[in-house]
Amino acid sequence: MRAKDVIFTLIITGIGMMLANFIGFDVSFIESLPGVLVLLCIALAGAGLKAIIPLKLPTVAYCSILGLLAAIPVSPISGFVIESANKINFTAPLTMVGAYAGMSISNQLKTFFRSGWRYIIIAILVMTGTFLGSALIAQLILSVMGTI
Amino acid sequence: MNNKTYAYDSLTERIKTEWIIYLLAFIFILIADKIGQIRIPVWKGTFIIFPIFFSLGLGLLTGPNVLKILDDKRVKAAGSLVSIAILPFIAKLGINAGANIMTVIEVGPALLLQEFGNLGTIFLSLPIALMLGLKRESIGACHSINRETNLALIQDMYGASSPEGQGCLAVYIVIGMVGTIYFGFMTSIVAALNWFHPYSLGMASGVGAGILMSSASATLAEIYPAMADKLSALAAASETVSGIDGIYLAIFIGLPLCNWLYRKLEPKIGRITKYGRREQE
Repeated sequence: MRAKDVIFTLIITGIGMMLANFIGFDVSFIESLPGVLVLLCIALAGAGLKAIIPLKLPTVAYCSILGLLAAIPVSPISGFVIESANKINFTAPLTMVGAYAGMSISNQLKTFFRSGWRYIIIAILVMTGTFLGSALIAQLILSVMGTI
Repeated sequence: MNNKTYAYDSLTERIKTEWIIYLLAFIFILIADKIGQIRIPVWKGTFIIFPIFFSLGLGLLTGPNVLKILDDKRVKAAGSLVSIAILPFIAKLGINAGANIMTVIEVGPALLLQEFGNLGTIFLSLPIALMLGLKRESIGACHSINRETNLALIQDMYGASSPEGQGCLAVYIVIGMVGTIYFGFMTSIVAALNWFHPYSLGMASGVGAGILMSSASATLAEIYPAMADKLSALAAASETVSGIDGIYLAIFIGLPLCNWLYRKLEPKIGRITKYGRREQE
């Protein structure tokens, strides 16, 4: 995507976020606006870094790191960033992602039903195993370190 | 950059093609967030249904298989919109992690080491896949959580039409369809069992799939409201680390481990059930 396509798509996403925040949580558009702008700026900067830096890192990694850097105590804007982002409810940015995601796999429904019960079992095990494996190791290390 | 080919010649052309996608998305947000969050207690867990499930479900109906509102070109376009639309959410998680940076640093070693736990899936799923009669498909299906990066990796290494590629694609599709709802529900069951500290569950949520992580961490935030910020910070940190190391874990440990286990196990448990024997030549 060109830069202006990314900006356009992000603006649409921002409107979607404000709509979800209003419908679901009664937060007005004006109240949501600063937080939405903060999130969109970080998202755009992340996409920009991805385009410039020749590393094989996913864009989400850049966005996450930029968000972290903006909010740690040494960042001069951390107070504003945290406060305005807090106005955006946790699940508000996700509804639009879900809509797009559903549409993007809507041509695979037939394949899904054809792939059969064996792959459904395996997919469930794959998800469960990934989660439990991580939880187990995290629990062990945290216990050894005495954090919990 | 100038030699790249783009899906559209201009932004205007993009809007002319995609306006229906945006319109549908806005309508689905209206419906999904109006319904809001629904909690259904089931046994020890709670099905917490977030608006994202409704919008995803509605989205599924729009395609060429059901309502035929979207054609294949627009279905593909929606896919590239997902990867942009998720970015603000990831930025929000990053901010959460930054705001709780002391918690993240405090659990740093656990955060890094639990990444290897993502390989735990291999020991659980590969033997059962073999029992169910999968052959080389099981390598692709079981080597990781099978999201976009892994799909690209397997297609690159084995080819899209190879058995490994087909196994990977099948699990990719199933997780796309049912993953969001299952992952949140599973998280609530595991939390109810009380085996793990909430911190461990927070870290385990970051598996290298944004939508699964969000489902798990939204569920955890509901179950442990007092710790919600810290838990989503840990989930975000873990998800970021997974996003970076996931592909290397798959190449250097996951796939070799799968191949090794396959050689050991297939001759034994690959033939104990009739499914296993039937598919053997």
